[in-house]
Amino acid sequence: MRGTRGGVPAFVTRAGESIAVLAGLASAVFFALRLLPGDPARLVVGDEASPAELERVRATLHLNEPLLVQYARFMRGLLRLDLGDSMRRPGVAAMARVTEALLPTARLALLAVAAGAIVGVGAATLASGPWLSARGRTIVDRVLVAAAATPLLALAPLVTWVLAARLRVLPLPGDPEAGASGLAFASGLLAIPLAAHVGRVARASLVDVGHSQFLVVAGAKGARPARVWFLHALPAVLGPIVTVVGTQLGALLGGAVVLERMFERRGLGTLILEAYATRDLPVLEGAIVAAGGLFVVAQAASSAVHLAIDPRARGE
Amino acid sequence: MRARSDRRARSRWQDVAPLVAIVAISGVAVVLGREPAGRLEPSRAWCPPSSDRLLGCGEAGVDLLATLANAELRAVALAAVVALVGFAVGTPLGASAALARGRFERLAAHVCDLVQAFPTFLVAMAVLSAVRIPSRVHIGVVFALTAWAPFARLALAQTRVLRDAAFVEAAVALGRGRSGVLVRHVVPNLLGVVAVQLGSTAAAIVLSEAALAFVGLGPPDGVSLGGVLDQGVASMLRAPHVVAEGAIAVFATSAAMMAAGRAAER
Repeated sequence: MRGTRGGVPAFVTRAGESIAVLAGLASAVFFALRLLPGDPARLVVGDEASPAELERVRATLHLNEPLLVQYARFMRGLLRLDLGDSMRRPGVAAMARVTEALLPTARLALLAVAAGAIVGVGAATLASGPWLSARGRTIVDRVLVAAAATPLLALAPLVTWVLAARLRVLPLPGDPEAGASGLAFASGLLAIPLAAHVGRVARASLVDVGHSQFLVVAGAKGARPARVWFLHALPAVLGPIVTVVGTQLGALLGGAVVLERMFERRGLGTLILEAYATRDLPVLEGAIVAAGGLFVVAQAASSAVHLAIDPRARGE
Repeated sequence: MRARSDRRARSRWQDVAPLVAIVAISGVAVVLGREPAGRLEPSRAWCPPSSDRLLGCGEAGVDLLATLANAELRAVALAAVVALVGFAVGTPLGASAALARGRFERLAAHVCDLVQAFPTFLVAMAVLSAVRIPSRVHIGVVFALTAWAPFARLALAQTRVLRDAAFVEAAVALGRGRSGVLVRHVVPNLLGVVAVQLGSTAAAIVLSEAALAFVGLGPPDGVSLGGVLDQGVASMLRAPHVVAEGAIAVFATSAAMMAAGRAAER
């Protein structure tokens, strides 16, 4: 049967896995705060708080109820996107703050994925086709290996120092006037490791299919190298490329948190850090689950794209 | 034959040399250092490198040589401990799942894939949010929650090959139980392959610890590679040496860890 695993359609299995991952993360957040040693109410208001204040926080967060009742309430709240009000901004729903922050992070990650995939595939195709000399190909290969081995945490501050502080061609971190160029710069930095990984996998796959008969036939029929490589070879290796993008999404999300902090951009990362610093538990719980949701949706999208473009993945 | 083993020993030494050099230099700097890491001296804040302060000073006048040397040693120790714990837990877990075959094997493979793909950063934040001031022990425990997965995945894949080997079938035929086969025959034969993962896991832990400290979730003493980077980004215009030294230290430590892991391949 098409796209099935043990008789169950692949997308149903995939959706089940995604829900299980999200439920697991939500449960980890919930139980970490309630079962690890320490009083969650004291975490929120501090050790100096009066008993009356502690009692007020316990009542607001329903910490006096049995654990399972709290858990059921928390999961129901997540399903309804209602975790109560933010502790630090009374009157503002916690999930409203989370949804407000989700969009900039999604935009940053999406731009980074697009840029990383385009640059990586472009570099791999350039290094595999007939356009470069042997030395040129070696240089592209070495650049890809070096970029993949360089951690974003070390690279991003150095590139920012050179381009923003020394050459002044890009906005400095935290520049309120940065606008679209700030977004482009941050997503460009985030795209570098992804482009390197995509480039290495795409290059290896293109080398594999490079001697296939269908490419020889296309060349013999008079197709130009660009047509042979972009229209015939590239579609045959899209499967591994989409897979590597999917496996890099976790690192990308972690990188997004670091870059949001570095560039002082609003987003899910900065919201999590702010909620952590101020112990705004409803916002913190909602934001971590939302970040997990972003990861799960992106993974599911990469799986769906893989199934759509590669008949072999559908078992055809 | 002897020449080949000499060459192999030399290559192993070359792989481990960068890490040994980093640890030795940091150790000497800590032992011979004139002041403890993190000592504040506001009058010399952001001073550039000089013969008096080899790496210059950071925020509030902290000596960067003392801070970076201490941070390097602590990062290497944390990464080594967590990677070894992951190795000790993940290897038997993956091997026993593959020996059990069937549903348990599939479940273990699936859980490993999920844990490896999921952002460690989010897990760390979820767990650390329950701690008022995270210490290095807390951070180590959080990393250990996910560090076992790559070892288990490798052990599982390698045991799938080993379980059909003649010596394993012979041990089963002679009546040895599953745990006996696992301990006496399977695990010793996959240690070499799985140990290769130690370097990349340790390098990933160095980076994750630095990233957590960079965003403000680091150890309370502030002695961390990520903490120096954070100072560097904030003072990029007036003291560029801080960001350069922090970035080079993060890169050198993770690359040295990765290279040291290659020694197990030979």
